[in-house]
Amino acid sequence: MEMLGLSLAMLGAALAAALAGIGSAIGIGVAGGAAAGVMTEDPNKFGSCLILQALPGTQGIYGLLIAFFVLNKLGLLGGGGALAVTWNQGLQILFSCLPIALAGWQSAIWQGRTSAASIQMISKKPEAMGKAIILPAMVETYAVLALLVSILMLMGVQVG
Amino acid sequence: MGVARLKKAELYYHKSVHEQIAAALQETGACQIISTSEENISRPAEVENLISCTEEKLADVRYLNRTLTPHYVDPIPALDRMLGERPEATMAELEELAKNTDLKSVCDEVRAVEHETGEVRLKLSEAKLNDSILSSLAFLDYPLSIFTEGTKTVTALAGTIKPENITGLKTALGDFSKLAQDSELIIAPFSEKEKPSEIYAAVIYSRSVESEVREACSKCGLSVIEIPSSFTLTSAEEKEKISASISELEAKESALAAKMSELANANMLTVQKLSDYYNSLAGRYIGTAKSDETECTMLTKFWLPADKAEEIKLKIEAISPEIDLTLADPAPDEEPPSLLNNGNLVRPFNILTELYSSPTYRGIDPTPLLAPFFWIFFGMCLGDAGYALVVFGAILYVFRRYKKISVGVKEFIRLFLFCSVSTFIYGVISGSFFGNFIDSFLPFLVPLKNSLMLVDPMTNPMQVLGISLLLGVIHLMFGLLIAAYDKLRHKEFIDAVGNDISWFLLIVGLCLFGAAAGGMLPEHFVQIGEAMAILGAVIIFFYAGKEKKGIISKIISGFLALYGSTSYLGDILSYSRLLALGFGSAVIGMVINLLGGLAADIPYVGWLVAVVVIVGGHLFSIAINILGSFVHPLRLQYVEFFGKFYSGGGETFTPMTLSQEYINVKA
Repeated sequence: MEMLGLSLAMLGAALAAALAGIGSAIGIGVAGGAAAGVMTEDPNKFGSCLILQALPGTQGIYGLLIAFFVLNKLGLLGGGGALAVTWNQGLQILFSCLPIALAGWQSAIWQGRTSAASIQMISKKPEAMGKAIILPAMVETYAVLALLVSILMLMGVQVG
Repeated sequence: MGVARLKKAELYYHKSVHEQIAAALQETGACQIISTSEENISRPAEVENLISCTEEKLADVRYLNRTLTPHYVDPIPALDRMLGERPEATMAELEELAKNTDLKSVCDEVRAVEHETGEVRLKLSEAKLNDSILSSLAFLDYPLSIFTEGTKTVTALAGTIKPENITGLKTALGDFSKLAQDSELIIAPFSEKEKPSEIYAAVIYSRSVESEVREACSKCGLSVIEIPSSFTLTSAEEKEKISASISELEAKESALAAKMSELANANMLTVQKLSDYYNSLAGRYIGTAKSDETECTMLTKFWLPADKAEEIKLKIEAISPEIDLTLADPAPDEEPPSLLNNGNLVRPFNILTELYSSPTYRGIDPTPLLAPFFWIFFGMCLGDAGYALVVFGAILYVFRRYKKISVGVKEFIRLFLFCSVSTFIYGVISGSFFGNFIDSFLPFLVPLKNSLMLVDPMTNPMQVLGISLLLGVIHLMFGLLIAAYDKLRHKEFIDAVGNDISWFLLIVGLCLFGAAAGGMLPEHFVQIGEAMAILGAVIIFFYAGKEKKGIISKIISGFLALYGSTSYLGDILSYSRLLALGFGSAVIGMVINLLGGLAADIPYVGWLVAVVVIVGGHLFSIAINILGSFVHPLRLQYVEFFGKFYSGGGETFTPMTLSQEYINVKA
């Protein structure tokens, strides 16, 4: 049972990286489909399409960031060996990972849809690029807030 | 600073010089033609002729451009092109080129090749289809004429069938024919393992039972395929013939493609030049087509920046003595377009305003107001001294290497040059240099780094969160004050107090109250804050109900307005992204250094892997973080800041200019 804490904490890291990554992959996929459609008409829009497509990618990076944060906290990076983690601490770390895991996952998907719509928009109105970027960025707010909460919660957990 | 003053010009001139006038107006690049009157649908005939001539040429140019571009490899790399490394020409040179180029014959040549390619492709796809039919009939030893012609008594059909229907078909064919030799079913060989969804089959039958066979086949799900009537030999022999013709057609196709790219290489530069030339011409004539006319004169009206008015006036009056140009200030009921006119330090930020929406001519230009905030926010989000140095160095290199960058691109790059400075400053005070590169690899610099650090987001994030939210409050309050100022300017005193100043009092009061109660400010600020907040809340409460009738609805709307304070809370919390993004780039940097450090432990090649991981990783991190650091501060401007006072809605000043899509055109 003495490894339970470590396992729970690692589950947290896994969820953060995996769920947020899944969300970003779906979001970028949806946006990429729209971008490819627009570029068949006008290949010159590659640059602006790529930027819009990349926007839902940040959630995956936030998830990765939290996962590394957790691994670092557990002493799993570098050769030092894992720290002792009680199951209570492990559970705390697992919960700290949930905001970015869940909000990152879903917000990336919805941001991808908004990005796809924005890509459609610049295909008709290239001059509206500014607005087209802002609409998906509105969705990302909630991933940023979740990231913030995850970070603050993790910093509060004392390990070792 | 702000929106440039414009003058309205009325230009009367004799029709004989209308071409020179149009050219001159376009060359200044500072005149936006005004449509004279709504009802004026007919355009001056002289200009109309020129437009239709130009459009005719443009149609050819567009055709060539569209057809040849896929076959053309641009000798100039795309990045160089974007940074202004393009061919140059003057309008006079282009005119000469246009005269000497026989567009029609080039078009004919290209059309011929295009047409021939189409035909070859059609034949090729037909041959490939036949080839695949032949491959699927390879199991038959009979000459294919049995399908297409048949003999006197026997004919055949071929088709595809699902494996599970085969038995059914066999029984059906056996059923109706009393004599087994009336029909024969031949099934293409297939392996049970692969479980093909469809199998080729042929039925050879006596003509006397044709209708029964066909009926049995369609009942049992054999879908008949049409065998081209040209097939008479066995499938192997026919296949040989077809593959010969396929390779012949393919050779023809690639020869035609080579011809096309030869044509593209020979003509594309000219086509691009002419495209800019004729687009310039079309633009200028469509501009002056908006003029009013009498029998011999034309009247063109246009907007031009006041500071260039005299210069342009002299230039135009030099064309001919029979010209009258009067300049006037815009009348109060006129809505001129808006041109942002900011100094060197603010100008790069113009693009941020323009991306949102240009201000109205008499409105406030938000660019100088947002510039310092954007600058700080970008710095906090990217927040790494090392990344700042990379960006700064890359931009200096670009400016040294490329001398012909167009104005718009140059200003956009300068925006990042400016922001790299704030990034550097925040990187130094937060102790971030390529993430924690100093702590990981350059331990002797740690004391220097630590002595310069003012904030430490890694160990004390609450401090940076506090700073982020405080910046948010300042940003929002600044927005409210601008809104109040704008209303006072238009003498809307009550609205200014009720809408903007009241919220300012409430929020600043609450902040002072909170700060003083928390011990961060002297104690008497508690009372001051309290008083401000209450005064603000009272004004909000009463202002909201001012147009409502009845005491109850006044009270309800008052409370609803106070409930709106939650939106301010949301607005302020939104600035926590400054911490989160700065934190994000620092941690990504840290992770890259960590991975690099781990890689260095690999025996022999470790250092090489470490360098690749660290350099590649940080470049990736810079790219992804710049995107985030651009988008999120921009959102704070557009949503939180502009939401308080700015709605844009002006028409952007779009003067007639020379078309420079492909080449740098000089007047």
